[in-house]
Amino acid sequence: MAGKIKHMIDAIIEQRAKENVLLQGVIRTKLMLKGIDPRKFTPLSDDDPAVISKLEALLKDFK
Amino acid sequence: MNIVSAYSTKESVDLVIQDLREQFKHMAPKMVLYFASSRHAPEAVSRKMQQAFPTATVFGCSTAGEIASGKMLKNSVSAMAFNAQAISEVEISVIEELHDESGVELAFASFEKRFGTPMLDLNPKKYLGLVLVDGLSGAEEKLIDRIGDLTDVTFIGGSAGDDLKFAATYVYANGKSYRNAAVLALLKPGSEFSFIKTQSFSILPRKLVVTRANEANREVVEFDHKPAAAAYAEALGISVQDAAGRFTHNPLGLVIDGEPFVRSPQRIKGSSMLFYCGVMEGMELSLLEATNIIEDTRKALAEARAKLGTVSGIVNFNCILRTLELEQNEATEEYGGLFSGCPTVGFSTYGEQFIGHLNQTATMLVFK
Repeated sequence: MAGKIKHMIDAIIEQRAKENVLLQGVIRTKLMLKGIDPRKFTPLSDDDPAVISKLEALLKDFK
Repeated sequence: MNIVSAYSTKESVDLVIQDLREQFKHMAPKMVLYFASSRHAPEAVSRKMQQAFPTATVFGCSTAGEIASGKMLKNSVSAMAFNAQAISEVEISVIEELHDESGVELAFASFEKRFGTPMLDLNPKKYLGLVLVDGLSGAEEKLIDRIGDLTDVTFIGGSAGDDLKFAATYVYANGKSYRNAAVLALLKPGSEFSFIKTQSFSILPRKLVVTRANEANREVVEFDHKPAAAAYAEALGISVQDAAGRFTHNPLGLVIDGEPFVRSPQRIKGSSMLFYCGVMEGMELSLLEATNIIEDTRKALAEARAKLGTVSGIVNFNCILRTLELEQNEATEEYGGLFSGCPTVGFSTYGEQFIGHLNQTATMLVFK
């Protein structure tokens, strides 16, 4: 399977920052400091379970 | 004035306290933030600072050097007092065991109780957070990472120091001193505020990708599938034997929107490299090259002044590695001078926090 990580990153940014462009930048920075570079994931990227696990935890916190 | 800074170089804690009280006598402090040299006994300094300002929220930490208006100091206590116009609300919480994974949640629960709003719903333009953390805990990344997961409020701060003894660092709150702990403060300032993150490096084109790391130990085992030390040396065109001598001048940086988040190498261990902050597998790091701290800081302060119009107070968390470089270049007086004429408090840190945990950076909170 592919593309799940890109989908999750987009969901995190949308949920947390909504339309706030400044906040979108901060969320991207936080992800990069966690070792997840949003620019590197496309709809064709492999579904790396380690990255997915980190993102699942984040999605839970953001609710 | 709503924000007043003061410092004292007196010998004993009692004389220091007396000196600071005298300098703050024309105001009613709602909050007192202070940074104390490790020459002062931790328990005594915290207890007596709280006793000196009994109606204020009083907190601080130990240092590797202090910063005051116009000065870089040693063996002193530097403090800043805020009245109710400057800080309309403040609440502090101590995380007494940094390795307790629920520490941030518990601290945030106390903030939510006090402010009556979930941390995720607080407006980051109206609230800000301060974080002071044990500088020898090695736990800063997890702490600031967790804070960032649970709120959009910006937390800024520094890791406590101990004048380069690397024996014990302390945070102070509630009249007590704590090790392996952090003080979190949630503030609602009475006026606008802004943040500065400044580091003096240019970004070189050469990049190194972390292909193997022991993240818990801040250790990079491999860059680009080669032993880390060898890859770093190769990138600089030098031998592995000479690599450690270049760490301060050529650290690495995670570059985000053109801004480096500096990761400073600490030492070589076998063929690996240990860092002063966390480096994750998959991170693409750029080689950095030192530029001029004085000029870069001057520019950053001018930008903050232009943004806010006026500046009524600055809290400066300045990396000890920057302080050492300034000392080496006999530029501490000039650096201190950048903050003359404006109430300033700060200290030389064992690490800086702003969104993440950083090295070789100054993070500053600036009040309008």
